[in-house]
Amino acid sequence: MFYEMGESPSLIGRIERLFIAVVLGLMTIITFVNVIARYVFNSNVLWAVEGTVYLFAWLVLIGAAHCIAITAHLGVDAVINLFGKTGKRIAALIAVSACLAYSILLLIGSWNYWYPFVTDLSFLTTEDVPMLPGFGWLEFMNDGAPYEKLPRFIPYFVLPLSMVLLTIRWSLSAIEIVKGKRDSIIASHEVVEELEDRDAHVDKAAAPAKEAHNG
Amino acid sequence: MGEVVILFVMVIALLAIGAPVGVSIGLSSIVFLLIYSDGSLTSVANTLFDAFHGHYTLLAIPFFILAAAFMSTGGVAQRIIRFAVACVGHLPGGLAIAGVFACMLFAALSGSSPATVVAVGSIVIAGMVQVGYPKEFGAGVVCNAGTLGILLPPSIVMVVYASTVDVSVGRMFLAGVIPGLIAGGMLMVAIYAYARWKNMPRGEWAGWREIAKSGADAFWGLMLVVVVLGGIWGGVFTPTEAAAMAAVYAFVVANFIYRDMGPLKARIREGKPAMLTEKTAEADILAMSGGAAVLGGSGPVAGAAPAHADDATRPTSLLRKPQALFTAWFHKDTQEVLYDAGKITITLMFIIANALILKHVLTEEQLPQHVTAAMLSWGLGPVMFLVVVNLILLIGGQFMEPSGLIVIVAPLVFPIAMELGIDPIHLGIIMVVNMEIGMITPPVGLNLFVTSGVANMSMLAVVKAALPWLGVLVIFLIMVTYIPFLSTWLPTMMMGPETVIR
Repeated sequence: MFYEMGESPSLIGRIERLFIAVVLGLMTIITFVNVIARYVFNSNVLWAVEGTVYLFAWLVLIGAAHCIAITAHLGVDAVINLFGKTGKRIAALIAVSACLAYSILLLIGSWNYWYPFVTDLSFLTTEDVPMLPGFGWLEFMNDGAPYEKLPRFIPYFVLPLSMVLLTIRWSLSAIEIVKGKRDSIIASHEVVEELEDRDAHVDKAAAPAKEAHNG
Repeated sequence: MGEVVILFVMVIALLAIGAPVGVSIGLSSIVFLLIYSDGSLTSVANTLFDAFHGHYTLLAIPFFILAAAFMSTGGVAQRIIRFAVACVGHLPGGLAIAGVFACMLFAALSGSSPATVVAVGSIVIAGMVQVGYPKEFGAGVVCNAGTLGILLPPSIVMVVYASTVDVSVGRMFLAGVIPGLIAGGMLMVAIYAYARWKNMPRGEWAGWREIAKSGADAFWGLMLVVVVLGGIWGGVFTPTEAAAMAAVYAFVVANFIYRDMGPLKARIREGKPAMLTEKTAEADILAMSGGAAVLGGSGPVAGAAPAHADDATRPTSLLRKPQALFTAWFHKDTQEVLYDAGKITITLMFIIANALILKHVLTEEQLPQHVTAAMLSWGLGPVMFLVVVNLILLIGGQFMEPSGLIVIVAPLVFPIAMELGIDPIHLGIIMVVNMEIGMITPPVGLNLFVTSGVANMSMLAVVKAALPWLGVLVIFLIMVTYIPFLSTWLPTMMMGPETVIR
């Protein structure tokens, strides 16, 4: 469902949803247009492949943070379901610490990876993606000369950015667990919940039929 | 080698305490790199980005997911089921056989098993109960038949395998066709025999007219297969492009031909979430006609006749609302489908990207070489090797998401298979069939979860219901493992003998 669990999502949640839909839509359309251009107009969108791949990275890495908020990341809950309430909470705390360790370690790695591209190597551009309008002011990074292609540090920025977002989101989850508002950070039953939600509506409509059947 | 055991123990421990699969794999790999190897965090970040940047084939995954999402929201599933019921509904156990048939058809449109179970199961299981089949029977059948989603092309798991070991996606897709048909056929025969034995209800023969009518109605949906497979095999598209074409095609069919979603959908459905109507509408139809001839006759889906143009139950004609050509792209239903497909893509790719980090670590440690040497020194022949592969995958498949498991296991067993002269395509099909079985065995069979959701049954009940039919798939696995030409014949015939690069 677009808006799950009856809650109206926050502004950030809505922006993230829109971001996911738009990026996936753009990826599809760029690839589609490239095929059409090749066969119908006998030309080629040079940057289509590279551009789509960058969008893919942005979609998944930024989207991963959104999926924390809606508890959509897949995991195994067969074991933790055997625990009691306290055990479950301790397990969730360890799990979320592991997640934080992951995102912080990768944040360090991402920063080290990205930093050269924005300093010493800031003249490096992508192979084919043209300069985006509105980024012209970035030319000071290139010793004042305008960029011919999109500089690499822009698409690569998703790495540090997404790791910061993951860290923030998992910190929030950790706080919720401590406060007792949340008992797990994974959703291996995600599909099922959605269906139960859907069934609730259906069952209301089909209640008489069902009773007849049970009786 | 000992360190590698610690690595895997760490993955399993993290999984057990409920960390997300991606994090369990990723964090274990990072820790391993920092302690036992001289890899740096920077190289891990590079590998993570490379999962997207360096694997163009994986880009097919979001597009296939999107195509399937448009197809199931856009009402393709019930049209396929109606066609399937018209074809085989009159046999003993007809609705169950039709369910398998519909699963096979839908599998040819979508690349994932859970999607197939949801699309077909939510309609068929309810229908079967109403006609008088035991619910367990329906759930067990659909749960098993749904696994064909990853065997019949297109298949996300095959895309992942092809991209991990560098074989042709087109070849893998072709190789899945014959095994997929055989598996479906075996399930149908088993159901037929069981239904004869238990004297299960059968529907009425609906006549050739109904077959033609429902077939024509399902035609536009089924054409998707032609777009994808024809495009890849004809060399018109790369698999990624074919997937994107499929997504756009599915969007057009759902919005402008079937009009079960988007600006042209029937007014009576206005305001209802698109996903919901599929089940309510069909459950009602099944209830009304109360038999297996069911989905025939006057569904609200038959298409708009001019005389009924103002009928609220019928979709609007594009001629009456030409602006839909533009609004459809931004319609709320379209956004919803894009977001849902995006969400599935994200959770799946997050696991695959982290599995690629683990693969990177294992390759750096030269683990594949060690394993190959060890296995060959035991004097393992091809037959025993395949048994070992089956066991690893069956056990692993019970705990892991299939795509992630393939990324990790494929590089380990691939060099050995090459050494033993096993065809890479054949190995791929064996892995996919193992994944199918993994999806319907507890504790983490994804199909079991989904089925328990659509059938409103407890997990345990679904496990019991699926068990007898699991036997059919196990026999099928043995056949596929030891009769290589089932997998290799069609691709070799269509695309010529393959060149194996060692």
